[in-house]
Amino acid sequence: MSSKMKRNLSTLGRVLLLAAYLLAVILPIYWMVATSLKPHTEIIDAQNLTYIPQNPTTENYEQLFSMYNYGSMVKNSVIISGSTAIVITLLSILSGYAFARYSFKGKGTILLFFLITQMIPGILVIIPLYLIFANAGLINTRFSLFIYYLVVNLPFCAITMRSFFERIPYTLEEAAYVDGCTKWQGLFKIILPIMFPGIVAVFVFAFIGSWNELIAGTIFISTSDMWTVPVGLKSLIGKYDVKWGVLMAGGVLALLPTAIMFAVMQRFVVEGLTSGAVKG
Amino acid sequence: MLWQIALYILLVVILFAAGFRLLRKHEKKNRQLQISKKLEPYLFIMPAFLLLLLAFGYPLVNSVLMSFQNYKLIEPGKVYFNNFANFKNLFSDRDIGLIMRNSFVYVIASVGMQFLLGLILSLALKKKFRGRGVYQAIVFLPWAFSAFVIGLMFRWSFNGEYGVVNDLLIKLGLITEKIAWLGTPGLSLLVVILAMIWMGVPFFAIMYLAALQSIPEDVYEAADIDGCGAVRRFFAITFPYIKPTVIMTLLLRTIWVFNSFDLIVVITGGGPANHSQTLPSYMYTRAFSGYDFGLASALGVVLMVILAVYAVIFLQVTKYNKAGDF
Amino acid sequence: MKKKLVALMLCVMMFIPLLPAGASGVQLRFIDVSPSPARQEYYEKTFAKFREETGISVAYESVPWDDAANKLTILGTSNQLPDVITTWAGWLGQFTAAGWVIPLADYIAGTEDQYTDTVTKLVWKGEKELYGNVYTVPDGMMVKGVFVRKDWAEEEGMDLDPKKGWTYSEYFDAVRKFTNPEKNRYGTSFRGARGAFDPLFVYLQTLTGGRAYADDGSALFNTPEAVAAYETWNGLYLDGNAPKDAINWGFIEMVDNFTGGLTGTLINDSEVAATCITSMKDEQWMVMPMPESDVDGKIYNTVNSPYAYSISASSKNPDAAWQLIEYLTRPDNNIEYCKLTGLIPIKKDVGDDPLYGPDGYYATFMQQLNDPRLVVPCAFGPFSYTDMHQGMMHEEIQKYLLGQQDAKTSLGLVAGELEKRMKQYLADNPGSAVEQPKSLSEE
Repeated sequence: MSSKMKRNLSTLGRVLLLAAYLLAVILPIYWMVATSLKPHTEIIDAQNLTYIPQNPTTENYEQLFSMYNYGSMVKNSVIISGSTAIVITLLSILSGYAFARYSFKGKGTILLFFLITQMIPGILVIIPLYLIFANAGLINTRFSLFIYYLVVNLPFCAITMRSFFERIPYTLEEAAYVDGCTKWQGLFKIILPIMFPGIVAVFVFAFIGSWNELIAGTIFISTSDMWTVPVGLKSLIGKYDVKWGVLMAGGVLALLPTAIMFAVMQRFVVEGLTSGAVKG
Repeated sequence: MLWQIALYILLVVILFAAGFRLLRKHEKKNRQLQISKKLEPYLFIMPAFLLLLLAFGYPLVNSVLMSFQNYKLIEPGKVYFNNFANFKNLFSDRDIGLIMRNSFVYVIASVGMQFLLGLILSLALKKKFRGRGVYQAIVFLPWAFSAFVIGLMFRWSFNGEYGVVNDLLIKLGLITEKIAWLGTPGLSLLVVILAMIWMGVPFFAIMYLAALQSIPEDVYEAADIDGCGAVRRFFAITFPYIKPTVIMTLLLRTIWVFNSFDLIVVITGGGPANHSQTLPSYMYTRAFSGYDFGLASALGVVLMVILAVYAVIFLQVTKYNKAGDF
Repeated sequence: MKKKLVALMLCVMMFIPLLPAGASGVQLRFIDVSPSPARQEYYEKTFAKFREETGISVAYESVPWDDAANKLTILGTSNQLPDVITTWAGWLGQFTAAGWVIPLADYIAGTEDQYTDTVTKLVWKGEKELYGNVYTVPDGMMVKGVFVRKDWAEEEGMDLDPKKGWTYSEYFDAVRKFTNPEKNRYGTSFRGARGAFDPLFVYLQTLTGGRAYADDGSALFNTPEAVAAYETWNGLYLDGNAPKDAINWGFIEMVDNFTGGLTGTLINDSEVAATCITSMKDEQWMVMPMPESDVDGKIYNTVNSPYAYSISASSKNPDAAWQLIEYLTRPDNNIEYCKLTGLIPIKKDVGDDPLYGPDGYYATFMQQLNDPRLVVPCAFGPFSYTDMHQGMMHEEIQKYLLGQQDAKTSLGLVAGELEKRMKQYLADNPGSAVEQPKSLSEE
């Protein structure tokens, strides 16, 4: 087999693989979108499954806004997830930098502690936190969710940020120090610009982690004007029936902000974390 | 309680202020020299560490304590240490063996597949091609869904009678009779695993793609000259470069998946007859919803012990502790 | 520098919305455990009127039904329950044992005549027997009925008349007749997941005159006849009168499959009529009463309220809370609520609304409530059974359906555990007695 044929074969394999995976991702999403465009009676019709909406309608989307105040849910979710993601990113830059660039006493223990926080079942954290928030009058505030999402997402983001730091050659900083930069200047002027794609990635991870959380949302929030998107969608599951169409419409719309973020993030991930560094 | 929180905040502020003063003093004193190396990393880590300690320290201690207590909500006056009764209760459940087995099957199968598919996907995406940006933006989407929406979608699509999956399989001629996916032992767990894989592949793919980008191109060029095969190239060059990321993602993802119950609760509720029940879903539906916090905490402790043992073994085997990090 | 300052300001502003909004004045809190836009609108409107009349303001809180039990648990544990809570009858055992709700008998005293017999003789009598006092005021009443595909019955030439009623044998026959795999039709929306034991428990009590336990607390639903009945009931599934999937069906699938045209019958609360009205055509469905017992000809049926009002023990203004409940259950407010939610009013003085008349959607339910043969069978017991309801009650049925164990073992395990708890309760609470079935005809 010539090397050219080999290359063509491997390209073909790659294309097939990518196509198959694309299909696996798209089919369920298509089904969601299709369902969100069907009227309720068509959705639950057990005798006649339609692959393409027979009577396409936007009533599910309209209901979402007119009856369920979806706009307010999105607002709450954006405020909470956005502020959480900002703070997490800042804190992870600090701790990720320390983990990556220093060796110090207790580093292993602290990393281990970060790891252990991930092992505690969430519900065992939510209950004591609820007690604290209740006594501090913070129940039914966005602040309570902000705190919870901050602490549950922080360890992963800090550890991830550390690995991004580790991929940047230390020589870059060293050069800056030789030129008379302080640590802070080195961090802010040299490393962070190079790190930007990694920072974006961590921000997106933190955002998505808070955006989709449900259990703490139902427990810390008690009035519907404070509901986040997942809690609001959950309320579409009644005791006897599910508003499938509205739910799917909400699911599709909930995807939009994160989808945009992915579109932005993937560009950075593709460009590569260090490509800029090597060139510069 | 309010004063406790105020105290916590005050403590954090004071520590911060003290730390930064010290740093500034140092910096002023010896501008040319490096700041006291000893203090620096602690200052960087302190905010994150203190936050986590405050949020997780108490719950951790508290749940370990509760796991040894008779702590039932409906008997508020009767909280006492009950001599491992919660653990005895737990392990005397007739189905505990089945539930343990499900937990391990669920974690190994779903994390294993997510990892493999994510890795393959990231390798396939490494090389540039037209439309790669759009492609990536689409295939990473499952990670952006909330588990509960995914769960509902799967529960509904795999419904034996009016689900789209059976309909599609019959139309394609792959099956002749409808399959009761959620009503058959084994299959119900499979559906949960499929949902988990669908959701988790992008996580691995994103992380590995980011790691792959940090491999200098010239290493591959050298390998090409040496005439390395694709497989050898992967194990000799690619894998060693991304190994730290592989270890970290596998470790964390396993912990997350092991602890997650939302998909199970939404899709199957653990059924039929506990055939898709795992330890965390059992903890949530039975102990927590059954008002028995003692039992719930005991389950939580068992979960944590299993995960801790796993983490230690995993880190040993992968020799990740070489650098003294863990 | 200016740029940085602006950026900083923007960042700070981003966090301001996180902080709690200041609340002013004394307020009552009310939690709805089954929120929907329509319910929220009703409550907020009614609370506004209430404020005008009494000066007491009420905050409407809500939690999705699916998470309601857990949320209330956490609220109860941390002493944070709102003043007025909506509760489901199944939670009362826990709530009273934990002391989260307060007795209402003193508040109600003197006004009992205003309530319908279903409230006084069934719900409140039951609460007194089980928990020693009255703890809830029903929001509205619901009974069970058998929802049937009217058009299918006509196709099969079946003569179903709600006024005549039917027996369990006739009901089982109808289920078998409806089953037609070629047409993709099944006889019944069988329920195999959580809650599967509930309707079965009622059926088993048709053999025992509505009793669950003998006076000493031993289970009466574990006899050879009961095992045979258990086999008959589950035989509907095993013989293919329900889809194989039904072993893992909960409420949602049961209702979806009936309204979606897969199953011919559905045993459920009158509340479901609201769903049928919106999702089905009038000529497609009808409601039959619950079948009569094959043993004594009586109709055994549960009568309860879906989201009854209680006052929490953590309320600082229980009197104001009671005022609110009184206001919500005032005849004019109650009928408006009941029409909205598909329930039957709790006050005698509701006027004649055609919805509840002989031609309305709720005719069969009203008819059952007025039937002297109606008997309300006993509940599982006054003790906590949430863990069983979440687990073994339906899991033992599923194991039987999967052929992993026989009927005797399955029923025996559940009956044994319930019996154990009942006897324990009797021993722990001297002077208590087992619950008796209730009916409207007896005094």
